Amino acid sequence: MIFLSPLFLWFVAAAAVPIAIHLLNKRRHKTIPWAAMSFLLKATRESRGKKKLRHILILTCRALALAALALAAARPVASGLLGWGAGRLDTVVLILDRSASMEAKPGDGLASQRELVLEKVKKTLADLGSPRLVLIDSASASPTDVPSPDTLAELSSTAATDSEADFPRLLSKAAEFLTETSGRSEVWIASDLQSSNWHPADERWAAARASLSSLPKVPAIRILSLTQNGGASNTSLRLISSRRSGDELLLDLELLRDENARGTISIPVTSSLNGARTTELLTVPGQSLRFQKRVTLPEGSESGYGHLSIPADGNPRDNVAFFAYGPAMPVRSVIVSAEGEAAQYLALAAAPPGFGEQSVERVEPDQFSAVVTNDLSLILWNAPLPDGAAAESLNRYLSAGGQVLFFPPGQASSESFLEHKWSAPVEAASGKFLILKDWNHADGPMRDGIDGTSLPAERMKAIRCQIPQGDSAPLARWEDGEPFLTRRVTDRGIAWFIGSKPDYTWSNLGDADVLLPVVQRILELGAARFDASHTAEIGSDAAALLPGEIRERIDDYGTPDPANAAYESGVYRLGSRVVAVNRPAAEDAPELLTRDELDDVLEGTSYTLLEQAGQATTADLSRDLWMPFLIAVLAFLIFEAILCLPKKRDRSTPLAATS
Amino acid sequence: MSHSFLDHDLLSRLGSLPLEARSPMMGNVAGRHRSPHHGSSVEFAEYRKYVPGDDTRRLDWKAFARSDRFYIKEFEADTNLRAYFVVDASGSMNFSGGAPPKIEFARRIAASLAYLLVNQGDAAGLSICTDKLHLEVPPSRRPAHLERLFTTLEALQPSGETGLIPALHTIAEKIGQRAFVVILSDLFTDSSELADALQHLRYRKHDISVFHLMDPLEIGFQFDSPRRFVDLEDGTAIVAEPNLIADEYKSALHEFLATVRAKTHDANADYQLVTTDTPLEPLLRDFLTARLPKSKH
Repeated sequence: MIFLSPLFLWFVAAAAVPIAIHLLNKRRHKTIPWAAMSFLLKATRESRGKKKLRHILILTCRALALAALALAAARPVASGLLGWGAGRLDTVVLILDRSASMEAKPGDGLASQRELVLEKVKKTLADLGSPRLVLIDSASASPTDVPSPDTLAELSSTAATDSEADFPRLLSKAAEFLTETSGRSEVWIASDLQSSNWHPADERWAAARASLSSLPKVPAIRILSLTQNGGASNTSLRLISSRRSGDELLLDLELLRDENARGTISIPVTSSLNGARTTELLTVPGQSLRFQKRVTLPEGSESGYGHLSIPADGNPRDNVAFFAYGPAMPVRSVIVSAEGEAAQYLALAAAPPGFGEQSVERVEPDQFSAVVTNDLSLILWNAPLPDGAAAESLNRYLSAGGQVLFFPPGQASSESFLEHKWSAPVEAASGKFLILKDWNHADGPMRDGIDGTSLPAERMKAIRCQIPQGDSAPLARWEDGEPFLTRRVTDRGIAWFIGSKPDYTWSNLGDADVLLPVVQRILELGAARFDASHTAEIGSDAAALLPGEIRERIDDYGTPDPANAAYESGVYRLGSRVVAVNRPAAEDAPELLTRDELDDVLEGTSYTLLEQAGQATTADLSRDLWMPFLIAVLAFLIFEAILCLPKKRDRSTPLAATS
Repeated sequence: MSHSFLDHDLLSRLGSLPLEARSPMMGNVAGRHRSPHHGSSVEFAEYRKYVPGDDTRRLDWKAFARSDRFYIKEFEADTNLRAYFVVDASGSMNFSGGAPPKIEFARRIAASLAYLLVNQGDAAGLSICTDKLHLEVPPSRRPAHLERLFTTLEALQPSGETGLIPALHTIAEKIGQRAFVVILSDLFTDSSELADALQHLRYRKHDISVFHLMDPLEIGFQFDSPRRFVDLEDGTAIVAEPNLIADEYKSALHEFLATVRAKTHDANADYQLVTTDTPLEPLLRDFLTARLPKSKH
């Protein structure tokens, strides 16, 4: 609450007048000789409790009535955003979440959360006497002075985007800006509290909090969140990956319905390829559906672009997925192994018959340095861990984003690579097998298929294994808990360690239940980096302009806003590159920040969370409060009058009588 | 005989009304009041059977002649009345809230009734009591005695705490014969001790009449601003807001009045709660009329 005529607040001191009069009256007593002293003393003793309380209440009512009158005269403005106790503001720093999720409509027929919150902020600022407004929008993260709150909704820096927000960074920016600002400031955060935007586990929060705390005048933080209360029904379409396979483009897509969606729906999905459109009906049986779409490319097509879209719904920003493709790249692998059964199985897994674009070559370990090139999709290392020049070559390959799958060397060795070693070979007990017990069904090359089918990894039986030892993430384990498959992520590439070989003296790994999907998935990952140059997420390096490049949107979907081209999804020509830019996957994550997480990230700051149902018809966050104060004056005076009413006398006892 | 508290017109108007004792009196000369002694007087009372030991001189021989039985003839003897006016002279009697002080009212009642009594041949005495003083003017039926009584009343200066209770006990012990005891006080004393003293008087068969004098302000307790109340008896002071404590004060006062009334009734005493703004003539007229025997109405 703030006061538009704060000078009247001095009159709150008038509340002391009844008390002063009372005290003066007590001092200005007359002296009277008195005979019936015993009754007086008794009455004084008895009146100390209830009567004194009544008298105090009367005084309090009078004082409060005067105070409320003074407060009403000071023109109080209540603001849910401001809360109580706020004084006049000099500067408001508005951190506006412009991420794609803010375009969700809180209800059918309503504007988006972003538009609603802007309207509320505009009205509130007008009520507060229009303090200086500085906007830090989540897309550009740079402070901008807004001359008038009335123009807030019309600014390009408050328009919708497909970007994501990075709140630790935004709050640090706000703190940085406030170091050069004097007067009383507040930071208002307008956000849907999407957890992926707030990064609650991010270590940068500590720095952001420290920056705020170190300000000469620590600003209050007000968070305005529009809760959706179900919101308008929404379905999002997301491109998981795209890769070219000969004359086909394989698009892995996901349709995600909102949490409250029930039943099966049919959604028309429109595909646009180089301007040609087709629509097909897709049945979504539950809340989400992952599917692969094969787009047959025109004959002789070197490159192109397009999009898939679904009809407009509760959030118009998540209904499209853009893609682009370039010339087909051959998928090449190298097996570093001595000749033998294992090498043959690995060659079959890396280039199965019928996969014409996949090729594999076997080299002896000592010849590796001569054949390694960065255009390899995968290196299968079935030899002792490399050292010397081979290790250097392998490190370079990994740094370029390559994938390497290590198999056990077969004997104990002290050699290490990426701080990883192999244990001594472990033999299964006689008549027993080593069985896989647990593997990651959601992540890694042993994940379940798109249709939810699990790999038949339990069929794998080993009589011999070696355990990878080092700081890597296990993705599958043997029955005894030792890791079978681990992943070590380097700068850009990934090194995989698998604990057995496709060799009859080791295991039945070569029977294709495990080896083929694992190798093919890692191969796919390795090949994707060549297609990755055609797709990017907003805000990623791949979507950024290089020196000398100009951004030009070339697709025909929607109505682009040139001022926000860097923050809108679409197909762009960046210099000589064609890049399909999509909204970040994190924007489709429905998880919201919990109150505990909010307490943690803003620990030590005096933040206020105002959650308003988006359906609220009132567009303002503040309102005049003089009327409630006048009602309070009346209430206090009535209560005082009631307290002052004389008690009914007991007429049954006469005052004077004779007998 | 000119005193401010004596209203001769009033006395002459009340002169036609006798002041009667409600119980038999024991005077030393013949008078208008019944005596507890049955004997040879002019008024026949009753017959009773002779029992051995009775004075044979009181046998009714005529009755014996008619019935052959011995009867003793009983008569009621009339005597004069001895009245004691016990005036409380404590400091509280000096209180005046606008009406005449309570002591002034006590003077008027005592002087008027004493005048009427002496005028009808009865004796009137005075007892003035405080915690430090117990002044007595013995009862006398001589008209000249009245002047001494009035002078004593006029010179009376209330002060100190009340000595009413010891004074009543002293009177109860000291007066050997039945008498009419008129108490004029605000009775600001312990009510149980007052009850004991009244019972003491009743035990000695005295006719007791209590004039409970109160100032209207003491009963109404109406003030418009805080006051510093100073005790008239011991000088202690408290500052209070009358508006705040009025209810409790009145409640305590009512309780006190009810207790005093009950105690005086228990002692078979005649009780009159009198505010000092009450006109004297109707007060005394009602008092005298109420005491008349029913047969004489």
